[in-house]
Amino acid sequence: MYSAAQTDNTVSIQNLSFSRGDRKIFDDISMQFARGKITAIMGPSGTGKTTLLKLIGGQLCPEQGCIVVDGENVHQLRLADLYDLRKRMGMLFQSGALLTDMSVYDNVAFPLREHTRLTESLIRTLVLMKLQSVGLRGARDLMPNELSGGMARRVALARAIALDPMMIMYDEPFTGQDPISLGVLVKLIKTLNSTLHLTSIVVSHDVQETAAIADYIYLISDGKVVGQGTPEQISRSESGWVRQFMRGDADGPVRFHYTDDDYLEDLFHTEEQ
Amino acid sequence: MQHSKTLDTLVGLFVASGIVAFLFLSMQVSNLSSFVEPAGYLVIARFDNAGGLKVKAPVTVAGVRIGRVSAISFDEQQFQAVVKMRIEKKYNRLPDDTSASIFTAGLLGEQYVSLEPGGSEDYLQDGSEIDITQSALVLEEIIGQLLFKKAGEKD
Amino acid sequence: MLYVLQQLGYVTRQRLTKLGRGTFFLLHVLTGISDILRRPELLIRQLYSVGVLTFLIITVSGLFVGMVLGLQGYYVLSDFGAEETLGVMVATSLVRELGPVVSALLFAGRADSALTAEIGLMKATEQLSGMEMMAVDPVKRIIAPRFFAGFFSMPLLAALFSMIGVLGGQMVGVGLLGVDDGAFWSQMQAKLDFSDDILNGIIKSTVFGFVASWIALFEGYDAVPTSEGVSRATTRTVVNSAFATLGLDFILTALMFGDD
Repeated sequence: MYSAAQTDNTVSIQNLSFSRGDRKIFDDISMQFARGKITAIMGPSGTGKTTLLKLIGGQLCPEQGCIVVDGENVHQLRLADLYDLRKRMGMLFQSGALLTDMSVYDNVAFPLREHTRLTESLIRTLVLMKLQSVGLRGARDLMPNELSGGMARRVALARAIALDPMMIMYDEPFTGQDPISLGVLVKLIKTLNSTLHLTSIVVSHDVQETAAIADYIYLISDGKVVGQGTPEQISRSESGWVRQFMRGDADGPVRFHYTDDDYLEDLFHTEEQ
Repeated sequence: MQHSKTLDTLVGLFVASGIVAFLFLSMQVSNLSSFVEPAGYLVIARFDNAGGLKVKAPVTVAGVRIGRVSAISFDEQQFQAVVKMRIEKKYNRLPDDTSASIFTAGLLGEQYVSLEPGGSEDYLQDGSEIDITQSALVLEEIIGQLLFKKAGEKD
Repeated sequence: MLYVLQQLGYVTRQRLTKLGRGTFFLLHVLTGISDILRRPELLIRQLYSVGVLTFLIITVSGLFVGMVLGLQGYYVLSDFGAEETLGVMVATSLVRELGPVVSALLFAGRADSALTAEIGLMKATEQLSGMEMMAVDPVKRIIAPRFFAGFFSMPLLAALFSMIGVLGGQMVGVGLLGVDDGAFWSQMQAKLDFSDDILNGIIKSTVFGFVASWIALFEGYDAVPTSEGVSRATTRTVVNSAFATLGLDFILTALMFGDD
């Protein structure tokens, strides 16, 4: 059903449109996420990057177009098949989304206990292995509210890889991290990708960190893909918008001011009334 | 999610105390035996006036409850109230010339059927009819009779 | 005028869509019973936080309500020389009305509000969404056990409330005011009927438990995922469960005791 070129991609988005209320969030976008690579989606805040991850995970339904994950059209699956597919997807939420009434150990064990019938001793081995890979084996007895933001994200990462998924989606993994935690996360994403042969999708607006690890980058703004390519291609881009975003200039094609009507006229407008 | 023994124990205690409360309400507060209708036999009595008699009202002999009223209906041919009573099985030696009356327990209490055994050798059976009946006393009638009598004495 | 009509239409539409969402939600929750039968430990855990933790407030309130009923009933009844029927009065009012209703109101304040806040916060912190992405249905895994725990706890709590209340009434009536102990119980037993009084009270509290748990969990699940949204949802839960309890109590009373 799908051509050979497409099966090389773990995720393929075709002509996707989605809107919330009257606001169009995605307008006919297409993206490919190559198997075993780190693909980044970047763009300003509020461009619906998280929404895109929820669309891929089947939590939201698109208005048009389709999303194919591992050869299956996500939004035409029956619920049971969708849940089966999700077992092969990991997702790291911005907040970590750890279950607050369970310890770190139980959080990582959660997907194993829900989806497998492994014995407790086997689960213990697996949990400790996953925690070791994020460097938090010693924190297994802590509760989520005793963790720092960076640690919570690492625990969530250990939980996301508990079922050995084929892909992981990272939602803003670098936001609000101190430089050390940030370095740890960047390294972790890179190592996990290469050692577990995961397909990684990183949603972020942190230019430096993302550009450092990504194999391919999509830039989205106003519901459109405005730039794509390898980090080198992007940095050499001729587009004014891409240059502004990558360098973080205050003014440029994206205006500093929200609206463009005349400032003076707006000031006097109230006096006329 | 390791489930602890204390948690199980507390939940067990909670459920057990709930069940105890339920049993207490059934046995001590209400009379559960009246719910489980004991197998008995039906006896019919016809009254000119059933008054305020209700279904489930007690049927007594010498003040002891031996059954309950199970149905009250109206006979259109004879213009009488037909009261069906279920008498407990163990009281199976009531003479067939027993009489039935509707009395009121206390001044404001509920009404009940009182049976007065006769002297016959034959006993009431399932479906038997009690022939001698005395209707309920209606307060207004008694007052009316009293006034009538008083008025008659004056003349 | 047109504006008022428009607003009315808007509000009606909002309410109806919410009711629709709530119904679908309820059906989804009910399908979770299969998971609970497979893993009863989930239910046990919630029975603890819903039932056991409400136990104390229910027993203490039941005791005091019963004692007050004993006192007040005695003063009214002694005017008619009918102190012996104190047991009937205390037990009837407790078993038929106060047991189910007051324990449902206390339950709304103690357990339902906590359920809404818990689910709302889980939603706000993306725990529910995270669970979905782990291919675990949060409605079945998180919400259904809480729903059934509330549903099962309510009749038990109401029965406890009534029992403690009757004992409290007996304590005051017999112990303090000198009503004859034998008359207290025998009048009660003669007057209260198992199916009319006890069973109807249990049915009432089961209905209240069902509706109150439904409201609490749906408000939490449907809450706007912010701290303000969760606090509003919690308030709505307490208010709506209380209204639902009182309204349903009227309807159920009319249906159950209407024909005599």
